Amino acid sequence: MNALDPNKLKVVKEVGRPGVLLAVAQQPASSRLFFGASDFKVHDFDVMAEKPEPVEYAGHESYVTGVVLAGKYMISGGYDGRLIWWDTETKQQVRSILAHSRWIRDLAATPNGKHVVSVADDMVCRIWDVASGKLVRDLLGHDSRTPNHFPSMLYACAISPDGRYIATGDRVGKNIVWDLANGRRLATLETPIMYTWDPKARIHSIGGVRSLAFSSDSSLLAVGGMGQVGNIDHLGGLARVEVFNWQKAERTHEFAGDEYNGLVERLAFAPKDQWLLAAGGDNAGFIKFFDLSASKLIKQDKAPMHVHDFVLNENGGTIYAAGHGKAVVWSLDAA
Amino acid sequence: MTRRNSSGGLSDQAISRRSFLGSTLATTAVLTAADMTVLDALQSPAMAEELKRKDKRVIVFWLAGGASQLETWDPKPGRPTGGPYRAIQTNVPGIQISELMPKMSQRLQHTSIIRSLNTKIGDHGGGATLMHLGRRDESALKLPDLGAMIAREMGQIDSAVPDYVAFYTATEGRGGGTGQSGFLGARYAPMFLTTESKPADLSLPPGIGEIDHQTRADLRQLLSNRFSEGRKSSSLGSHNEAYARVRGLMSSEQLFDISGEPQSIRDQYGPTLFGEQTLVARRLIEAGTPFVKVSRAWWDSHGQNFETHLELVTELDHVMSGLLDDLEQRGLLDNTLVITMSEFGRTPNINASLGRDHFASAWSVSLTGCGIKGGSVYGKSDEDGQTVADGEIGAAQVFATIFHALGIDHEKEYYVGVRPVPLTDPGTEPLKEVIA
Amino acid sequence: MRLLLPISASVLFCLSAVSVAEAEDEDAPAPANVEIHEVVDRYVDEQLKAAAITPALQADDANLLRRTMLDLVGRAPTSAEATAFMASDETGKREFTVDRLIASSSFARHQANELNTMLMQGGSGDLLKYLGPATAENRPWNKMFRDLLAADPESGADQFLKSRVKDLDRLANDTSVIFFGVNVSCAQCHDHPLVTEWTQSHFFGMKSFFSRTFENGDFLGERDYGLVKFQTTEGEEQVAPLMFLTGTVLEEPESSEPTDEQKKEEKKQLEELKKNKQPPPAPSFSRREQLASVALEEDENIYFSRSIVNRIWYRLFGRGLVAPVDQMHPENPASHPELLAWLARDLVEHDYDLQRLIRGLVLSNAYSRSSRWDGDDSPSPELFAVAMVRPLTPAQYATSLRIASMNPSWFPEELTGEEFEKRIEQVENSARGFARMIEQPSEDFQVSVTEALLFNNNQRITSEFLRDAGDSLVGKLKTIEDPKQVVDIAVRNVFARPASDDEARVLVEYLSQYKENRLIAAQQLVWALMTTNEVRFNY
Repeated sequence: MNALDPNKLKVVKEVGRPGVLLAVAQQPASSRLFFGASDFKVHDFDVMAEKPEPVEYAGHESYVTGVVLAGKYMISGGYDGRLIWWDTETKQQVRSILAHSRWIRDLAATPNGKHVVSVADDMVCRIWDVASGKLVRDLLGHDSRTPNHFPSMLYACAISPDGRYIATGDRVGKNIVWDLANGRRLATLETPIMYTWDPKARIHSIGGVRSLAFSSDSSLLAVGGMGQVGNIDHLGGLARVEVFNWQKAERTHEFAGDEYNGLVERLAFAPKDQWLLAAGGDNAGFIKFFDLSASKLIKQDKAPMHVHDFVLNENGGTIYAAGHGKAVVWSLDAA
Repeated sequence: MTRRNSSGGLSDQAISRRSFLGSTLATTAVLTAADMTVLDALQSPAMAEELKRKDKRVIVFWLAGGASQLETWDPKPGRPTGGPYRAIQTNVPGIQISELMPKMSQRLQHTSIIRSLNTKIGDHGGGATLMHLGRRDESALKLPDLGAMIAREMGQIDSAVPDYVAFYTATEGRGGGTGQSGFLGARYAPMFLTTESKPADLSLPPGIGEIDHQTRADLRQLLSNRFSEGRKSSSLGSHNEAYARVRGLMSSEQLFDISGEPQSIRDQYGPTLFGEQTLVARRLIEAGTPFVKVSRAWWDSHGQNFETHLELVTELDHVMSGLLDDLEQRGLLDNTLVITMSEFGRTPNINASLGRDHFASAWSVSLTGCGIKGGSVYGKSDEDGQTVADGEIGAAQVFATIFHALGIDHEKEYYVGVRPVPLTDPGTEPLKEVIA
Repeated sequence: MRLLLPISASVLFCLSAVSVAEAEDEDAPAPANVEIHEVVDRYVDEQLKAAAITPALQADDANLLRRTMLDLVGRAPTSAEATAFMASDETGKREFTVDRLIASSSFARHQANELNTMLMQGGSGDLLKYLGPATAENRPWNKMFRDLLAADPESGADQFLKSRVKDLDRLANDTSVIFFGVNVSCAQCHDHPLVTEWTQSHFFGMKSFFSRTFENGDFLGERDYGLVKFQTTEGEEQVAPLMFLTGTVLEEPESSEPTDEQKKEEKKQLEELKKNKQPPPAPSFSRREQLASVALEEDENIYFSRSIVNRIWYRLFGRGLVAPVDQMHPENPASHPELLAWLARDLVEHDYDLQRLIRGLVLSNAYSRSSRWDGDDSPSPELFAVAMVRPLTPAQYATSLRIASMNPSWFPEELTGEEFEKRIEQVENSARGFARMIEQPSEDFQVSVTEALLFNNNQRITSEFLRDAGDSLVGKLKTIEDPKQVVDIAVRNVFARPASDDEARVLVEYLSQYKENRLIAAQQLVWALMTTNEVRFNY
């Protein structure tokens, strides 16, 4: 069982793509991936193929920033505010709805594939019925303006493995856990260090909660972003992760970062919570593994690019990542 | 005017005695007042044109750090360089701007967008200097900037309001946004406001009453006029002029206080510092200040360009449209030129931090209001915004156009010793297509 | 080592320009053994006569003392100094006073301040650590020039280069402007439009002397390789010759670009030195040293010697013999070319002794004229028929205000020598903070409204200059009952001269309004006197 070892982390594949790959989803038990991209399209290809032959799905009118597989559909969301349902067999558009009035930043699907949730800069989290495309519920709780009168942004969402909870996180570092069934607000967690407001030198802000993940028993919520930034012209803060026992509203772990600067763009727990995996970047990229029981960093490495999203395969031994100009595959058990 | 007399200064009752200086002047032959000025052409009989341009005003939004043309005036939707924002149709057929400016999109009938600047200088200091001076700096000759030249051309020598005010609150890049009057001298240097919303030294110092403050100034002037007799020097003249303007400027202190503005006007400019300073700018130009620069720093979005512009363009859109509405309602827009400019624009290429870097090869400025042909676009960048495709110009043409729009001869020459220095570099022509 | 190479037609032009200038030298009729001030007056008077202008009268004693002290020791006289000078009927008191002032430590400090302003041109950092000892020992100007180019970090002389090393164009042009009175910046992009003699080669030639200079940590270094290339207006690429402003081209050992490998090695070595806070190794051939040598050679030093003479003249007279001071070229001749040539030659012959030059100039009648012109049209300024009114520097103004604001008993007549100097130095030091609030004047300086507002309304004016205290003028005046005496003391202290009768009458009348409160009366009076243009300017 110790075959998976973060210290054996190795890049096994790099596939260059024009533009920026912003989101990724994996066809179960395969290396067929769906990437949301800055060319307003979804790219569908087998990343391990010797010569990947991408199929492009056109329909969005801006960056595609969220891709999930739910039931028999692949659903994409973008800065155009649209959610689009695709049939992955026929590669045809099934449904397109204007889901938000502003940028959609992230999507998540329930494990049973019945619901998908979206978050956007209109500061609403919406729950959708996958089969009908109907709006199930609006979750309202994030302020539309920052305390300094600027537009806020709702960057991240996650659904717990048991499918009961939704977590959302915004620009100023406010995180809310919701009950998916009834929309009730269960907890509010603050991670203010992830938002840098510069009142003096540059008079605007940078940062925000960029990633959220529940542990396998749904009791822990990991929050990812960047620490305080001196010069906000650049992604100059340390990559930062905080973990909460959200039901007790108690912070259990704080990983303030050391070597790597930039945003933690995606977080995921290994299938048995052996470690928490984080990746992201500034001008370059990084990947990090944390052992929560020992409260320590096990392994970190430079990524070949700024990582915008990744997905873990079923056993947790393969990491499919989307990022600036390329897709990358890491393995923890490569020969 | 009612001041106490507890510390022994002059009280109201003593006011009548103030005539003492006047009577002294009349009876003491040797102390007749010397001429106050040798300096300014505005004192000479004004030509009609000069009269006409005297009520013209300029407000510059200095977008320090380099605002992106792609997220403001020159969007490239759907291109690899275009970024995620869409372009929106404006109220002028055929002109689209970034969706980050919905309010400006409905007010574009007053604005001319210039999309073809190639200014060649890609560092903050050099770019800021170029866009302040309208030409390259010279190390040995200190050149005046736009504000100083306009203050010189349109200000009144004895004006009771400041004639060049510059705001720059953020600390980043402040040195590049200071403004300089160069060889025109400190008379035309900006009243430069940083963290204070009011200029320094505009109110009475503690412990002195209004009347005492005035009589000591009168005495100072009497002695100084006497000293000036038989001594000709523009420096000497400027000293007396500077002191002569003090009382007037002190009475302009309330212009910097927006607390009395109705809430509806406050909302029109918004709650941010930039909005508040722009409201002060409107109050100043309404009172006669010819040139105000409101700097908004810092746009240098090497990382997270789109987030930064979401914040800053949204603010600019609100503040600028609020200002234009306010000027229009007050009947001031026809006489007020509102300019947006930076030291340069930003690269079409999007870097790995989703940022854009410094870019001087094809970027945009906007001119709105006074003397401008609204609802027009001058010049063109290529489809990805990498180069100028049509109508390439530099800073000099923008300056010549500004001068022309205000009725100032851009070829007018100042003399520094024997050397003629024209307002804009020789051979520069204003952009006729931009001028009404 | 040196070789004259006629590398281009433009250089030939330049050589001919210099030979014309040299011809003036040979014609210079004034013999070497006359006093400087006599030569000054001879040439200045000659032109006045030719223009049929009778110059202004000589300034009165109080005026002359104030002017001389501002120029030599950087401050106005104390009340006691002024009174003593006016009372003295000693023959030669002017010369005696000038010599006493030049011998004082204030003179060296003021020189250091003035040279610092000239050399740093408002840039960051200062050269005072170097200039302090240099002016105290009256180091020859050519030696200072060598020191500044050698840039020894121990002495602080490296600040001249250090403050400019990040911008070699500026370094080249500033050096040219400051030491040679030649502004070649226009020639950067094209041959100079006004001066055919100044070509792109002149600018890039100057730059070549500095192009191998670099900064490594806290130290400056100079490489053994590197050439300056530039695009001519025809778009042709040229390698800049190692050429001085006179057109003289220097020969130097062949150098070749290092390989990438060598460059890497060099970089590593420099990183190591930076870490250990050690200077980079000296080059085997220093281009900067070449500049220092060539500029001072007998046939080449015309620019160097004339420029400093012209700059000192500008400082003392308010206008250069060549104006502006950075435009010394054949198209812009000096107002008194023979005088400039003579003074420059005298300076070279006397080992670049700036003290001697300054002394000579301030003893001339041209220097000591009144600044008042009562006739109709004031004569053209380059005739020096009437003294110019010059704005004070921040240090002069702040120190003079400080002295003016102090109880005159702080500087009693009997206080002399070291004790007096010590007290003056204290005052200079205490004036520094305020000096930073005043703008450094440039040519055609205009007083800003910011300054007028400062003096009118800033709390600091009251706290620094109008305090009610035992050591302050206001404190002293408050104790005096007789308004005539108040006026007499105040005017002497602030203006360094007695009040005229009509002035006294007006001021006494003014004070009569404040009978009930002598403190307010004193503050009002002192403020009005201190803020007059008479105090703001050197007249």
